[in-house]
Amino acid sequence: MIEFRDVTVIYDNDIIGLENVSFKIEKGEFVFLVGKTGAGKSSAIKLLTGEIKPYAGDVIVNGITVNTLKNKKLPYLRRSVGVVFQDFRLLPNKTVYENVAFAMEVVRARKKDIRRKVPTILSLVGLSGRAKNYPNELSGGEQQRVCIARALVNSPAIVIADEPTGNLDAETADEIMKLLMEINRMGTTIVMVTHSEKIVNDARRRVIQLESGVVVRDEMEGGYALDVLA
Amino acid sequence: MYSLKTAFSSLGRNAVMTVASIVTIACCLFLFGVFLLFAFNINYIGEQISSQCELQAFIDDAATPADEERILKEISALPNVKSAEFESKEQAFENYKAQLGMEYSESFEGMSGSDILRSSVKIVPDDLTLVKQTELAAKSVRGVARVVNREDIILKVVSATDIIKFGSLIAMLILLITAVFIIQNTIKLSVHAREEEIHIMKFVGATDGFIRRPFVLEGVIVGVIGASIAIVIIAFGYNMAVGGVTEFLDVFKLYSFSQLALPVSGGLMLFGIIMGSLGSRSAIRRHLKV
Ligand SMILES: Nc1ncnc2c1ncn2[C@@H]1O[C@H](COP(=O)(O)OP(=O)(O)OP(=O)(O)O)[C@@H](O)[C@H]1O
Ligand SMILES: [Mg+2]
Repeated sequence: MIEFRDVTVIYDNDIIGLENVSFKIEKGEFVFLVGKTGAGKSSAIKLLTGEIKPYAGDVIVNGITVNTLKNKKLPYLRRSVGVVFQDFRLLPNKTVYENVAFAMEVVRARKKDIRRKVPTILSLVGLSGRAKNYPNELSGGEQQRVCIARALVNSPAIVIADEPTGNLDAETADEIMKLLMEINRMGTTIVMVTHSEKIVNDARRRVIQLESGVVVRDEMEGGYALDVLA
Repeated sequence: MYSLKTAFSSLGRNAVMTVASIVTIACCLFLFGVFLLFAFNINYIGEQISSQCELQAFIDDAATPADEERILKEISALPNVKSAEFESKEQAFENYKAQLGMEYSESFEGMSGSDILRSSVKIVPDDLTLVKQTELAAKSVRGVARVVNREDIILKVVSATDIIKFGSLIAMLILLITAVFIIQNTIKLSVHAREEEIHIMKFVGATDGFIRRPFVLEGVIVGVIGASIAIVIIAFGYNMAVGGVTEFLDVFKLYSFSQLALPVSGGLMLFGIIMGSLGSRSAIRRHLKV
């Protein structure tokens, strides 16, 4: 589903984002990307959407080699990768319903499909009652649910989330985690960046740890911190 | 549908800028139209002049009518001769009298063409730039005494129209670039107002073409409205201006607007649309890179 082969990312100012990173994520997995600030987590996420290109190596998503993909084809890759943002990025002048429907409209989905799909997704994320509200009338957790609904509405095979709970309190973060786990159970592959020790330790899922652009740990059912004794 | 709705709401939101850019486009296209009309008429006048301009080959007094016929034939057969017309002494005399006007007609009493004038062949050349060669060729026809060439005037007219056309072209180009720049800045405002939206569209997989469309449409709408205003002003203004000019200058005929309406308004509309879409495209280009 996702494969990094000896991927190196170098930014304009010669700063190394990732160095010879290789890993493989299978369909249906839930993977945490952890590591100190500047470790290269966001760089890894941005490679998946083609937002940045690797200096060397291959990034393969859904059978598509992203680094050699023509810019013209990039939109079609992005339809198979849903993105959840830390800061939600909802359109303030559109209602909850319109924000989610917008994601379908702009990929030219049929009206009929939009009318059918949006309410289904809103009920999945537990927001059926708030469809007519505007983002500034919602709590942070609710806004993040809208963002997740928007990421899901085009039925992507993969959902990537860069610190989706970063702006939420612990309790709300837990609820968002439950939702993401639920979505994962339904078959969507999820890659999530987090700094929350509690979330990772509670979930007991695969953990890929980066330090200074290098993979230092890749552990099934791992915890947040590198085990000192191991 | 999405595009059209978005385009109009953007135009409404930036009403002041929209009006400003429509006015600017209208001005640019108005001037463009004036240049076009000017160029068309200069061309037309040039045509009229060159059809009036001629070489005149005077025939030796000793020539018989048979000679005259042969000379006309030979000259007609020369290269670069559009038409050749024989003018007898009598005709020349009549023309001459007519040119001088009635008040002098008495002084010609008792005279006839054969006393003072020669018969000639009037030659209208095809290509004015080759008129020198034609002159030499006509001179070498047997029985031709002298060839008079009004080349200086002709060439002056030709080069004057060339300079005017070239100058208009440059001025037009500068105006058009200015107009594109202004549309670009108007659309940049709309792009800026919808940056977040564009960003999200990119992330959920909208194609660049889809994202660009409402902005291009916005630019095209501005271009079309501007062009329409310019066309209306020109249509009213032109016939008035032509009326004024013709009072002083009735030697030459000028086009009426209806003769030029199609090419001129078509040209303005086309330019309005092209400028609108060019301006929009360049305004949004940077934002599509994510
Ligand atoms: N656009 C950029 N230009 C230059 N350097 C960059 C850019 N983006 C990231 N970097 C650098 O690349 C390295 C990895 O950054 P990255 O954003 O991937 O880290 P991260 O693990 O996501 O950190 P954080 O936890 O703070 O979000 C850092 O040293 C960072 O300064
Ligand atoms: Mg980051």
